[in-house]
Amino acid sequence: MDKRRYFTKRVLNALLTIVLVASFNFVLFNILPGNPARLLLPKGRFQADMIQKQMHAFHLDQPLWKQFAYYWVDTPELKFGYSWKEKRPVTEVVGERIWPTVLLVGTGTLLATIIGFVTGVFAGWRRNSTYDLVSTNTGMVLYSMPTFWVAMLFIMFFSVDLGWFPVGKMQTPGIVYAGWLAEFTDILHHLILPAAMFAITYAAEYHLIMRSSLTGVMKEDFVLTARAKGLSDDNVLWHHVVPNALLPSVTLIMMNFGFVLSGAILVETVFDWPGLGLLSWESLSNRDFPVLRAVFLLAAIAVILFNLVADIMYYYLDPRVKA
Amino acid sequence: MSGAGIPPRLKRWIFTWVPIAWIVLELATYPKDNSISVGFAEIVKGFFSSSVAGYPAYALLLLGVIVLAVGAVALVRPRKGRRLPAALLILGAEFFVWGLWAAGLPGSFSISGRPSSLAWLFQTVAIVLIGACVWVWAQTNPERAELMVWNTRQIWKLYRGNWQGMVGLWILVFFVLVALLAPFLAAHSYLNPTASVGPAFSGPSGAYYKWFGTSELGQSVLAEWIWSTRISLVVGLMATLISTVIGAAIGIAAGYYGRWTGETLMRLTDVFLVIPWLPLAMVLAAAWGTNYMIIMLIIAVTSWPGTSRVVRSQVLAVKELPFIERARAIGSSNLHIMRKHILPNVFAIIFANTILVVAIAILSETTLSFLGLGDPLRFSWGTMLHYVWASGGSNLPSTRLYVLAPGLAIVAVVLAFTFMGTAFDEVLDPKLRKREESTGGPRAADSGASTPLTGLETPPSASGSLPAHLDAMGTSETTEGGRS
Repeated sequence: MDKRRYFTKRVLNALLTIVLVASFNFVLFNILPGNPARLLLPKGRFQADMIQKQMHAFHLDQPLWKQFAYYWVDTPELKFGYSWKEKRPVTEVVGERIWPTVLLVGTGTLLATIIGFVTGVFAGWRRNSTYDLVSTNTGMVLYSMPTFWVAMLFIMFFSVDLGWFPVGKMQTPGIVYAGWLAEFTDILHHLILPAAMFAITYAAEYHLIMRSSLTGVMKEDFVLTARAKGLSDDNVLWHHVVPNALLPSVTLIMMNFGFVLSGAILVETVFDWPGLGLLSWESLSNRDFPVLRAVFLLAAIAVILFNLVADIMYYYLDPRVKA
Repeated sequence: MSGAGIPPRLKRWIFTWVPIAWIVLELATYPKDNSISVGFAEIVKGFFSSSVAGYPAYALLLLGVIVLAVGAVALVRPRKGRRLPAALLILGAEFFVWGLWAAGLPGSFSISGRPSSLAWLFQTVAIVLIGACVWVWAQTNPERAELMVWNTRQIWKLYRGNWQGMVGLWILVFFVLVALLAPFLAAHSYLNPTASVGPAFSGPSGAYYKWFGTSELGQSVLAEWIWSTRISLVVGLMATLISTVIGAAIGIAAGYYGRWTGETLMRLTDVFLVIPWLPLAMVLAAAWGTNYMIIMLIIAVTSWPGTSRVVRSQVLAVKELPFIERARAIGSSNLHIMRKHILPNVFAIIFANTILVVAIAILSETTLSFLGLGDPLRFSWGTMLHYVWASGGSNLPSTRLYVLAPGLAIVAVVLAFTFMGTAFDEVLDPKLRKREESTGGPRAADSGASTPLTGLETPPSASGSLPAHLDAMGTSETTEGGRS
């Protein structure tokens, strides 16, 4: 397919989905039972000027279609109103939580990808061997575990019993760092446990994906041809099977990137890690709907964008698309 | 009624499964507050006691009306056998009367669902009637009954050879038994916040109710765990049922109707697919409130797009087969083709997918409950983990079993469903089965020759292949994504 047509189609598709999701976001917070003004306001006693601020921020005094129009003016400008708990603009509250999440999720995903790829390749290659049996069934058990439960067990074992790592949070509370190295070490010390936990649960999934994808490729005729040519096992695996098996896996993992934000909710909640996941849980328990709305939109857009990236990567990775 | 045309095996099945279904129904509706100490006599008496069934009456009324309607429609339509509609009508009437009666007739009409002393009789009649319906159906369609028996036996033969599937099945049987026998395993009254059996967070000890220790209120963790089994399983299964119906309907429609309708439906599916389910579920739970019916709905609403994608890709393939062309040529309506030709052909994939969705639904329920969005009046495994975590007890050395018991139960049940789903995938999908046969890794050429590769009686696969939802996301997503 023509390159420009392919990309235009993808980008337009993504834009359309973003528009639809954003509309859904508007509808979602408007079909909630009760007056939306009350939902976007704190429960119980609150000050009159807060109501005014909130009413103004959300144009709640306007008819619904006007609200919808305003929504489309405000959202691209990142005006999400005020977090009633923090009494600050939502953008600020969300903004400062992004980097901890990126740090945790990035480290975790990187580890997960490497572990999952390597173990999955060998499991698929030596299918039905003892190694495959053990690793794949372990993967399925890990995949069946609730993330937060594994996190609880990790804390129980590594932090409480062994005392190797802190119980939660990103930095030691109330600490004054001697220098950047001390800060770095402290954060790293806090990071290891949640990141490892994150990595293990996702690695199990990637392992299963990689293995299944390898199995599919190994049925193909070109593998038989390569073998018939007398190539060594290593050569067949790394030059013929793996590059082809990577295609679907890479796309899938890229798309999974988008979803890690929702995965982060559980890990961050249990480890008290001050990222977006913890923020959404906090705003949920405080019924802080403006923040929840923004996080929700952010999470959905992340998925769409990573989908787009996956499509674009697919174009470059798979020569068949170009033909 | 003489069972002349009925396959003998089906006859035996009816005689086996009707009593089993009856026992299951009676156990599921057994009064919650009879304790284990009351003894076996009470169990028997329980079926005759004054509060056997606490069904909500409106559900029964609805069921009665639906069954009556189906029976009436079937009666009006020109068909050769009239006995099945007749049986359905009787069944519907039975539910209808039961519903009305449970609702408080002949007193004032209310749908409060008053417990009734004769409910067990109605349950028995209902179960027997359902058995009779199957009997009558088999008598009017002996060929189809024969085919059904044959198919089921073939599938079971294949399934039995799959060790993962059997392991999953046995794990599930265990938990279903725990759920059904809950009233006899632990008294429901131990779930009251005031019913403490010891100090808070005490460790496990020999007394029955203290086997798993005590909770943050000093309640029995064992009792909570046993009763949690019910909610976790019921929510998981019901959510899956709703989700599958939505997903399959949209998937079939999207695949069958090309162009406009299909595109619109797929766009809708895409939107739901990219919305991260957990934040959405959190928002919905926060807005709609938390009871387990709503949790079910939320899980169903957030989990259907996967099913509809899988189903659609299958429908796209089935649609091109010649017999669909034939059906259209002789003037079948779209609805008829979808129901009679497409649905049976994609049913296998829907079924295998459903079992995997159960695993996801149970995990989702657990996750929501853990975040404090569960039903505050009922225990589920997720709720237990929420309480131990939120009360800060999860790091005490005495609460190890409090944390481990629900978690291990979740892992076991989810694993059981994943195993069963994978097994059904292999049993129902001939392509997967062939894959298992032909590829044995790099040494396939050496080892493959020694294993017999004959049709249905293949040796079971030794290892777990990928759950369908992962596979579906991977391969179908990318291939369909490339479609223009």
